[in-house]
Amino acid sequence: MTSHKLQRIRNFSIIAHIDHGKSTLADRLLERTGTVSARDMTSQVLDTMDLERERGITIKAQAVRMPYQAEDGRDYELNLIDTPGHVDFAYEVSRALAACEGALLVVDASQGIEAQTLANVYKALELGLEIVPVVNKIDLVQAEPEAVAQEIESVIGIAADQCLMVSARTGMGVAEVLEAVVKRLPAPSGDPQAPLRALIFDCKYDAYRGVVVYVRVVDGAIRAGTQIRMMAGQGNFAVDEVGIFRPGMVPVDSLDAGEVGYLIASIRNVRDSKVGDTITDHLRPATEALPGYRQASPMVWSGLFPIQSDSYQDLKEALERLQLNDAALTFEPETSAALGFGFRCGFLGLLHMEIVQERLEREFGLTLITTAPSVAYRVKFKDGQLAEIDNPDQLPDPGQMEWIEEPRVKVEVMTPKEYLGGLMELCQERRGEFVHLEYQAGERALLTYDLPLGEIIHDFYDQLKSRSRGYASMDYQLTGYRQEQLVKLDVLVAGAKVDALSSIVHRHQASNQGRRLVQRLKEVIPRQLFEVAIQAAVGGKIISRETVPALRKDVLAKCYGGDITRKRKLLEKQREGKQRMKRIGSVEIPQEAFMAVLTLDR
Amino acid sequence: MIADQTQGAPRSLYVHIPFCARRCSYCDFAISLGGGAIQDRYVAALDQELEGLGPLGHLELDTVFLGGGTPSLLRADLLEQVVEVIRTRFRLSSSAEVTIEVNPEGLTEDLARTWRQLGINRVSLGVQSLDPAGLRFLGRAHDAVAAETAMDLVAAAGFENLSCDLIYAIPGQDSASFARGLLQVLTHPVQHVSCYELTVEPGTPLARRVQRKLAPAPAVDAFLEQREIAGELLGSAGLGIYEVSNYAKPGFASRHNLAYWTQLPYLAVGCGSHGFLSAASAALLGLEPKGDMLRYWHLRDAATYIREVMAGGLGWRGHEWLGPAEVEMERVACGLRLAAGVILRGDGQLTRAKELSELGLLTLEGQLVRPTKRGFALLDRVTLELCAA
Repeated sequence: MTSHKLQRIRNFSIIAHIDHGKSTLADRLLERTGTVSARDMTSQVLDTMDLERERGITIKAQAVRMPYQAEDGRDYELNLIDTPGHVDFAYEVSRALAACEGALLVVDASQGIEAQTLANVYKALELGLEIVPVVNKIDLVQAEPEAVAQEIESVIGIAADQCLMVSARTGMGVAEVLEAVVKRLPAPSGDPQAPLRALIFDCKYDAYRGVVVYVRVVDGAIRAGTQIRMMAGQGNFAVDEVGIFRPGMVPVDSLDAGEVGYLIASIRNVRDSKVGDTITDHLRPATEALPGYRQASPMVWSGLFPIQSDSYQDLKEALERLQLNDAALTFEPETSAALGFGFRCGFLGLLHMEIVQERLEREFGLTLITTAPSVAYRVKFKDGQLAEIDNPDQLPDPGQMEWIEEPRVKVEVMTPKEYLGGLMELCQERRGEFVHLEYQAGERALLTYDLPLGEIIHDFYDQLKSRSRGYASMDYQLTGYRQEQLVKLDVLVAGAKVDALSSIVHRHQASNQGRRLVQRLKEVIPRQLFEVAIQAAVGGKIISRETVPALRKDVLAKCYGGDITRKRKLLEKQREGKQRMKRIGSVEIPQEAFMAVLTLDR
Repeated sequence: MIADQTQGAPRSLYVHIPFCARRCSYCDFAISLGGGAIQDRYVAALDQELEGLGPLGHLELDTVFLGGGTPSLLRADLLEQVVEVIRTRFRLSSSAEVTIEVNPEGLTEDLARTWRQLGINRVSLGVQSLDPAGLRFLGRAHDAVAAETAMDLVAAAGFENLSCDLIYAIPGQDSASFARGLLQVLTHPVQHVSCYELTVEPGTPLARRVQRKLAPAPAVDAFLEQREIAGELLGSAGLGIYEVSNYAKPGFASRHNLAYWTQLPYLAVGCGSHGFLSAASAALLGLEPKGDMLRYWHLRDAATYIREVMAGGLGWRGHEWLGPAEVEMERVACGLRLAAGVILRGDGQLTRAKELSELGLLTLEGQLVRPTKRGFALLDRVTLELCAA
């Protein structure tokens, strides 16, 4: 039965840039295979979080099994694994891809390939996936499907005539996509008789069921009652239920080699089912785990502090709740002289950070101050000790350090040629070192730079977009560490150091950065009832200063008639706004101030 | 200071007369440019609304304020009818303050005499400015000569309580010109001056002009300078500040306006007007108490108001109940407008008040806080600081 069954399975993923139509195409596939009836069809079925729908991105991977009767008359089982689409989630993408034999590469007929997409295509090719290119949005007036197909041919090496021409919006060409999945993508290979090996490509925490683990079974089978073991992590668990996604969870008797589905065992924490780990049978373990597992580790850190100090416990509980479903999120208590008690949190990237912050505010009703994100620096003390510093305020005095190293990344930027100048300038400004420039078909170029990670976590991506009118895209990966002359830039407000405003900068940029930072702070800190000095200092020496003048007038000395309601409503609104500010000493500082370092004009 | 008088029956009545000769550029009050028949119907509606107040329409009153709009533009027989209706329905206490708000245009000594005969004993005159450019900027219907003449006519008619409204920080008017105008006003027999800064209210013709940069926005420097000038000149003429924008000779502070700021309940009738009642009073109107105090406001459009009231309603557009927190917040916010100050009750507020007094914004004696000169210029912020403490 089994090898016959394997022949009827296709596991595939969709690789696409944001807005190139991945979700719409997925919707059409679900509709056409009858997996979701037109009646139940909401837009972007697979993006279930509000945030995902609003931002048009996929944060968590999803899977869905679609039954499909092909033109050859046979019934197939198509498993679509939807992957996260942002540079912050690159590792999750690679594991989702590893669960597939093929991928649809969806490219917007009016935009062409983006760097991010290309990075994922290369990842898929490395993993041995078969790629079927789909040129989408061919119904648009500005569509240039032939040119895009040509670009795909020259960049990826898949013949232009192999591209499917589709409009997911109108449904044109969608039938051909399903046929191509069956005909052009390989069936999974795997040994149904061998000891169990299943790849974890995602997991989520369900309040009622505990951890739901998303798996692709490679060898063997899993059924309820199987004692499973995590090969990289720890722990044995008895499986309570296995099932498939249609797209809701539907229990089945077993998940066999080649199949994609979920399992529920008595796993309490998402940390116990790490993405990329291999599940095996405890009683009949496999000797070798599936390749490619690594610990997902944070790239940027920032402090999260509740504005009301009595919300500390609420914040802790909220972070614990989020962590149930987000293994990449780390946090530990942090105390700031300025902001009180909070948490130092580690994130995969800025988007991840924003998402966590937004969910904390939205889903848990917290009001937070987030400090500017930092990367982790390596420091060697004079006494020989080594330390990782992810909080600028903790950087020791220069006298105590033997050296300090900062993380560096290889950044690949895909851009239309005309923006190369501006983008190279951007990389140069950010202490980048030129590595490589490659011209590609369709007036495009692939620019590679070596940059300090700390220089790209701020507004680099925004700058990249604005200097290329939105056309450039990027991908990056950590390459290593390098010693640099880095110093701590402190900020004093009304004469007192505000630890949460400290940042680590290159010595040569300190005075420039300090000047711009105090200027920016002057703009965002509202006038107070007294004059407020804002100073930047390095090693106790003041390097620049600005003054926020005292407020002179703040009264509407007018006649309200008897309309006191209006006056009170205004006061209540102002009071709310005031409560969103943090009082440090006697100065009220708004949230934006702590992010000021991110929005400096260069 | 102020005992808990909020619980009592209202002893003040505001009557809104919405008619105006034209819309002033800065005004966002409920006004109507109609004359003729609508005036008759409006006065009938006022009577109808008072009728609908039931027992609340037969109280003893200490203050009555005929505001607008421009009550002096109401036809003489109709004005007489309004006052008669009030006199027959309510009882006026022996020392009641009865104010009429008037504009200089069309004012005659005969007219002023009839007001006097009706029992009106206080006139609030909309002078606004004596500077021709300033008056043009404000879009007023009168000129400086008319304003000065009006002040004397009112006195000649026998009024001993004249208040003038002035506006300062008018763009284009320098402080010297403002000072000259104020001194000129003080050559007439004036007991009370309301000195308001020009406020650009959203939705007014002025706001549109400022937005399109056809008119400059009022400047902070002019505000501070002219406020200072007003304080000094009025002070030396014996008119002391008693509220952020109001100055009076001893004994001439507006009792009606003080009722607003000291949380005394007040009735209001007519379109666009706002009233404030205790829960007990509101119950007499058939409202089930959902708080300690009730604020209500009327439909702004005169014609709609007339229709509603004639159909048997009170012509209200909305109301809200205030719980203890809201009442307390308003007590502090309104009390801070007064030179006499307000008693603070919370420890947090007192701590904050101490900090503010160190910044020279308040004086603090026990629990009594009073804004200083600089405190008045920053009053909204000071209020926010104390209300958020």
